[in-house]
Amino acid sequence: MTQAVGIAIEGVSKRFGAVQALVDIDIRVKAGEFLALIGPSGCGKTTLLKCVAGLLPVDAGRIVIGKRTVTGPGGRETSLVFQDFALLPWATARENAEFGLLLRGAPAAERSEAARRALAKVGLAGSFEEAYPAQLSGGMQQRVGLARALAANPQVLLMDEPFASIDEQTRRLLQDDLLRMWSEERKTVVLVTHSMEEAIYLSDRVVVLSPRPGKVHRVFDVALPRPRETLDVRASGEFARLVDDLWQILKKMQ
Amino acid sequence: MTPLGLQEPAFGRAGFAAIAALLIVWEILGRLQLTIFIPSASAVAAAWWGLFSDGTLLRSAGSSLISLLKGFTPAAVLGIALGLAMGRFRTLREVLDGWINALMSAPLSALVPVLIALFGVRDTVVAATVFLFSFFVIVVNTMTGVRGTERSLVEMARSYGAGEAALFARIYFPAALPAILLGLRLGAVQAVKGMVVGEMLISLVGMGERLIYYGNTFLIPQLYAVIVSVLLVALLCATLVQACERALVRWK
Repeated sequence: MTQAVGIAIEGVSKRFGAVQALVDIDIRVKAGEFLALIGPSGCGKTTLLKCVAGLLPVDAGRIVIGKRTVTGPGGRETSLVFQDFALLPWATARENAEFGLLLRGAPAAERSEAARRALAKVGLAGSFEEAYPAQLSGGMQQRVGLARALAANPQVLLMDEPFASIDEQTRRLLQDDLLRMWSEERKTVVLVTHSMEEAIYLSDRVVVLSPRPGKVHRVFDVALPRPRETLDVRASGEFARLVDDLWQILKKMQ
Repeated sequence: MTPLGLQEPAFGRAGFAAIAALLIVWEILGRLQLTIFIPSASAVAAAWWGLFSDGTLLRSAGSSLISLLKGFTPAAVLGIALGLAMGRFRTLREVLDGWINALMSAPLSALVPVLIALFGVRDTVVAATVFLFSFFVIVVNTMTGVRGTERSLVEMARSYGAGEAALFARIYFPAALPAILLGLRLGAVQAVKGMVVGEMLISLVGMGERLIYYGNTFLIPQLYAVIVSVLLVALLCATLVQACERALVRWK
């Protein structure tokens, strides 16, 4: 297990041609914190996540993960989880889970050991290891995506609407599994989502971004007890009240 | 642009029945002796056997296949390389796209006299014609395959530190592989066309030369026997590439 690190997003701006996507974003993610980014479409939440991952350069400001300032992709502190899973269709679940380590030049034995452990952690041990993505359901494909991210043993998980294209039942199971893994490993998580329930259920804090240009509109504390996956938090009145509070904020922005 | 499609040959009982029916009709028409240009199927079969057993067919087919390999191999290698580069680098694509599209749809047989002027009346002309006929469709399909690569796969690989070489080897090439193999299959069919056209125009070597010879000397059953052999060669090439496709793209 690795030591969790924090993320400092300091005065970050980003423009695409004539469109100002992000303006002067300041967010501090504490080490081991679960932070959700939410906002209407066009608020730049995915853009911000890609900046943190180093996939997009920032125009102004800087992003520091732990002690390292982000200058480009490939940093070992972070692993990304994608909305469309981004699995190699020509590779098996095990090969997909190994892929991040393969690109980093890890030796074969270490790769397969890490991949096997990660797949077991997401509930895909055994015969699923040799299945191709096309043979797996959406939920299982994202489990492979999660296993790939975990196999690289990052300190920070960056998740871009990871459960958006998964059916409701499976999504709830995956959310619970994610919480369980997070409480075991205490990685720092930044989750982009458009689901208010998901943001409240999973995170410690919710950052609400406003659109065009993307700005930090509100930071919202989620004071729900943990472990939420065993406390049946979804059924509580407090959960419903927080979701409604968040809804009131988002509603006024439309 | 979408990849140029070729129907999967679904060859079942109905296919064999259709061929059997055609052979029967052909045999009856031939036996009616309407014209010397329609010999019976059995006469063609006998002519084929004659050409096969005296070595004519093997000799001309051997020469044809060598030209085919000499033209198709560089077309495949260079076509895939150029297609990969054009798919990846926008400037190169913008410079070459018009040319490739123009040459792909041009009647390339018109270029064979130029090739003859360049290389002389030699079998090199046949290989060059094979190259010209098959190159462009391989380039276009490879390029289309690269451009169809999921963006998120590229981002994913970059997020784990993949550089340009790793992106090519681990993402773009495997993602484009089905389109590349389709291009090779279409290219192989085009290559056989180029082979026959080149050989007929130089009238010196291969099965194309035999076509011209038997046509000019009115040896009609022999002419048909060579035509059937050319069809078999085309079918064989397409089947070989398809076998490669099945072996390499098992994940679909």
